[in-house]
Amino acid sequence: MSWRLIQNFSGSRAILCLEANASADALTRTLSNLGLTVEKRHPGEQAFEDPSSLNPDRDVLFVDGDIDAGSIWPAPYLNLNPPAPVIGLVGHEAPSRLKTLLQCGATALLRKPVLGAGVYSALFAGVNAYRHRRHLEERLKEHESKRRGRRSLIKAIVHLVRHEGLDDEAAYEFLRKESMHSRQSVEAFCETYIRQLDCRETEAFGAPSRHAACAAIRSEGRRS
Amino acid sequence: MAVQRYAVGLLFSSTGPYSVVSRSMMNGALLALDEINTSSDLGVTLEPVARNPAGSNANYAAMADALLSKGIKHVVGCYTSSSRKEIIPYFEKHDALLWYPSHYEGFETAANVVYTGAAPNQHIIPLIDYLTVNHGNRAFCIGSNYIWAWENNRILRETVLARCGSVVAERYFPVGETGFASVIDAIIAARPSFVFNTLIGTSAYQFFRDFRRHAAEAGINQARDMPVASCSLSEPELDEIGQDAVDGHISASVYFASLKSAANAAFIASYRARFPKGPAPSADAEASYLAVKLLGISLAFAGTEALPHVKAAAARLEIEAPQGKVRIDEATLHTYLTPRIGRSTKSAQFEVIMEAKAPVRPDPYLVRSSPRFDIAVPPRAVRLVS
Repeated sequence: MSWRLIQNFSGSRAILCLEANASADALTRTLSNLGLTVEKRHPGEQAFEDPSSLNPDRDVLFVDGDIDAGSIWPAPYLNLNPPAPVIGLVGHEAPSRLKTLLQCGATALLRKPVLGAGVYSALFAGVNAYRHRRHLEERLKEHESKRRGRRSLIKAIVHLVRHEGLDDEAAYEFLRKESMHSRQSVEAFCETYIRQLDCRETEAFGAPSRHAACAAIRSEGRRS
Repeated sequence: MAVQRYAVGLLFSSTGPYSVVSRSMMNGALLALDEINTSSDLGVTLEPVARNPAGSNANYAAMADALLSKGIKHVVGCYTSSSRKEIIPYFEKHDALLWYPSHYEGFETAANVVYTGAAPNQHIIPLIDYLTVNHGNRAFCIGSNYIWAWENNRILRETVLARCGSVVAERYFPVGETGFASVIDAIIAARPSFVFNTLIGTSAYQFFRDFRRHAAEAGINQARDMPVASCSLSEPELDEIGQDAVDGHISASVYFASLKSAANAAFIASYRARFPKGPAPSADAEASYLAVKLLGISLAFAGTEALPHVKAAAARLEIEAPQGKVRIDEATLHTYLTPRIGRSTKSAQFEVIMEAKAPVRPDPYLVRSSPRFDIAVPPRAVRLVS
């Protein structure tokens, strides 16, 4: 899975959660010039009760750290990767305010008063850092699931060594090739393979050959 | 009718490394100032307060601060982006307006700046279109090592790669560098479809001369087979290149002195009469001329020099400039201008070889013409050559 920098934000939606003032005007003007549509929320409004309605590939939030930004997300979303990129507006450079912004998931900060300069930099850094973080989290999930699948891989190799007379290298190579044929990761394939062996063993007499098990997986794949 | 008098700052480097273009800009501004002040129906007199920062960014900052501290609300000036970036904070602090009259690389929309020169979609994008259609898609980039060259080369690279072309090489030199023998050998060996030049000032003039001579020695018709294309080359600079290498260079600009129109004929005639010693009128001179014209007329319509009123008045204007109709885009405070491509001639002028049908809306962030994603190019370990 690749990850690429966004440089043109045309077509994105900016949601401003800040009080109406000169900074809001400058931000609206500059974001519109950058090709974004701008929507405003009033601080304190429960506007984000349904974070699933946000699209992380389209939306970006600008949140004023001087208001109670903790209420932006429902509690379960705090301290997690937020449902869309957040850029924090900083007035008071105090630890409590900065902590609140980071808890909301801010990946870039923009100093108030906003005058125009700095908006593109904050957008560029904020959105791309968010995307990079999300990319890493997805990779992490993928690795976690692979790690869980290692148990099936080991079981399958042990089975092939024991019952088919292969050495461990040949057993792994066989499983890897078969997983590629069925377009799955080797771990996911082994999980199905082990299940096939178990289920056919109870139905018939003894464990099936590796080729019979693979043929069964393939025919299952065709049916689904 | 009572005549309103307004002091207007003029901040041009009439000495220093880019003084040739700056002096033509100053001339353009003074010409418009005369026209505003002698116009019987505007009822406005602009009193120029000129300062010469001599190309030093520190001087720009100190002089801008001094002008604005005196209460001046409108200043016309700057050529380089670095000088403009240097003084914008003072305009924000004093809530004054800078009228910036030069083409530049974009990526800015300051609320305290009106931009009357070309934005990137009005110079580099039309230039790349012209080059890839008429000369091919293998580019060799050579430039002065600063933002103008870096950003224009990025735009060129992205556009050319998207069209299945290639950038043979990208070479940068310190501003003022004049030793180009080895890069010229590299260009001649690579035989690109065109050379994309972002060198400025004396470096550019030397490169044009040396490249023409070396190519001729190698039996190459440089102007025909490996033309040099620039977004910044203007008539006063053609004079600096000199007779032996002046012709056959391609330049993208919204204005050329050779344009055939009544408004331009009048502009050129008054310019030459007022400034017989030159420098020759250029695109940036015309941008300075129209900055002062737009400022003067806006002040007359607004009846005050307060920024919101002047900006609102400016956004309602459409004037017949030497290049054709121009108007200010209220959202970006950039100007609708007419992109053109010119080829230089032996007489140090440009013949227009391509022209947009109508003024083009400014797009300073290229939101309508650049790809959403950055093009993955391996990072370069070394940028500076020599």
